[in-house]
Parts: sequence; structure tokens; C-alpha cells
Amino acid sequence: MIDILREGLMGSFDTVYSLAIVVIPLMIIMQIAKDYKVLDKISNSSRFLTKFLGMSKESTLPLLIGIIFGLSYGAGVLIQSAKEGDLSKKDMFLISVFLITCHAVFEDTLLFVAVGANGYLLLGTRIIAAIIITFILSKRLQISEDRLKERVSEN
Amino acid sequence: MLLNSIKTGTKKGLETTWLLAKVMVPVYIIVTIINSTPLIDWITVLFEPLMGIFNLPGEAAIVLVLGNVLNIYAAIGAMKAIDLTILQITILSIMLSFSHSLLVETAVVKKLGFKVSHALLIRMGLAVLFGIIVGRVGALI
Repeated sequence: MIDILREGLMGSFDTVYSLAIVVIPLMIIMQIAKDYKVLDKISNSSRFLTKFLGMSKESTLPLLIGIIFGLSYGAGVLIQSAKEGDLSKKDMFLISVFLITCHAVFEDTLLFVAVGANGYLLLGTRIIAAIIITFILSKRLQISEDRLKERVSEN
Repeated sequence: MLLNSIKTGTKKGLETTWLLAKVMVPVYIIVTIINSTPLIDWITVLFEPLMGIFNLPGEAAIVLVLGNVLNIYAAIGAMKAIDLTILQITILSIMLSFSHSLLVETAVVKKLGFKVSHALLIRMGLAVLFGIIVGRVGALI
């Protein structure tokens, strides 16, 4: 029993250490990115992504924030932008779909990589899945919007 | 300004480390103890058919349950306490990256005005789908 406890303690400290040496530098880099508003600067060059996904220009920054800094922070920014009237209902819905599938990508990926997972496969799968599902839903919304307009013009 | 960012970042990093240690250490110890009792054999046999779909051993069910109910930190603690191959760790990581911390994150999703049932369907659906794909493809390699 003592052996098992010792094994558990040693093993868990080992794991915590291997995660700490990833998490602490990551948090420093993310804090610098946040304070220097790096995302504001790259949000223009990421416009192609939101365009492809059928979102407005104003969606780019909240989407990037969620992808990089996580769901809670992203949701906060999203709710704020919606209140200020920058985002349509469709934007809100599509950003939510994307972020539900794919958020805090650096933190999550690095944690799993630290314990042995293949990071490229992990990150690639997650981003591609989020893009596909958001794209499909955006097309479906577009179709139903068009139908609605047709019906209105018919009447 | 830069120094301040580094300070805040370090503080956040240490806070996160403390947060994950608080979850991970007890989970790791408990799973290590379970691992040395016959209980692990029951869990393995019970979940073998289900986990087999993803090319995972039965005891990997512990990792998925902890990750979905608690969080990724708990799942990683359990993952390390059980002997798993790189492929198995990668399959579990992909499944968990889609679907984790469901209790806490579903509350956030609700705030966004998103339907909870739809969010759960998307997250768990993708986890199952990609668990099967990567598991099956991995089995061929």
C-alpha cells in the first residue's frame, strides 16, 4: 500500500511538473499578446476565415479571442459586442458553433502534447472539424434566409 | 509594460498550475490505487465492448468520464496513471478536446443563448465520430 501511494505521489508530481513547464511560459506569452493587443493587429489578415464562414467583418476579433484565449473569455467579448449591436444573430450563432467545437487551442493542445499526444493531429482535427461544421450550418442558414426572402417577396 | 505582462502571465501560469495540481494529484493517486485492485479488471471488462469502438482499452472509460464531468486536468491525471500507448493517448486527447468540462462549459454556452441540447450533440457527436475515425485508422497503421 505504501508503495502504491508513493508511486501515486511521485507520478502525479511528475505530471504536474511536466504541465507546469508548458503552462507558465504559455500564460506569459498569452498575457503579452493580450496586453499588446496582438489580435487586433492580426484580425484584418484573418478576415478570409470569417468571410468563408459567412460571418460579418466584426466577427473576426471575438472569434480569434475565443479560439486562442478560451470559451469564457471569448463568450464575454461576444456578449459585449452583441450588446453594442456589432453582431447579428446569425454571427452570434455561427461564432458560438465554432467556439463550442474549438476554443483555447494552444492551452488544450500543449497540455495533451505534454503527456504524449500527437499535437498536429489533435490541433488539425479540431480546427478542420470546427470549420466544416460552421461552414455547413452557415450555408443552411443562408438557404433558409433566401427562402424566407422569396416568400416575403411573393406575398 | 512588458515587465508587467510577464508578471501577470507568470501569476496566471502559477494559478493554473495550482488549479491543475489540485485536481490532478488526487485523481492520479486514486486511479493508481484502483489500478492495483481487482476493481480495474471489472471496469476493463465492463467497458471493453464500448471502448473497443474507438480502439481503446476498457479502462480508458475512466479518462473519458473524468474529462467530461470534471475537466481536462482530471482526465490527464487518469491518463498518466493508466498505462496507455501514444496512439491511445492521441485518440483520447482528440475525443476530449471536442467534449470536456461539460458541466461548466454548458453554463457558458447557455449564456450565449445557444441551445444546450444542440451544444451537447455537436460536442459529443464530434468526439464519437473522430474517436472512431482516428481509432480505426490508427489500428491499420
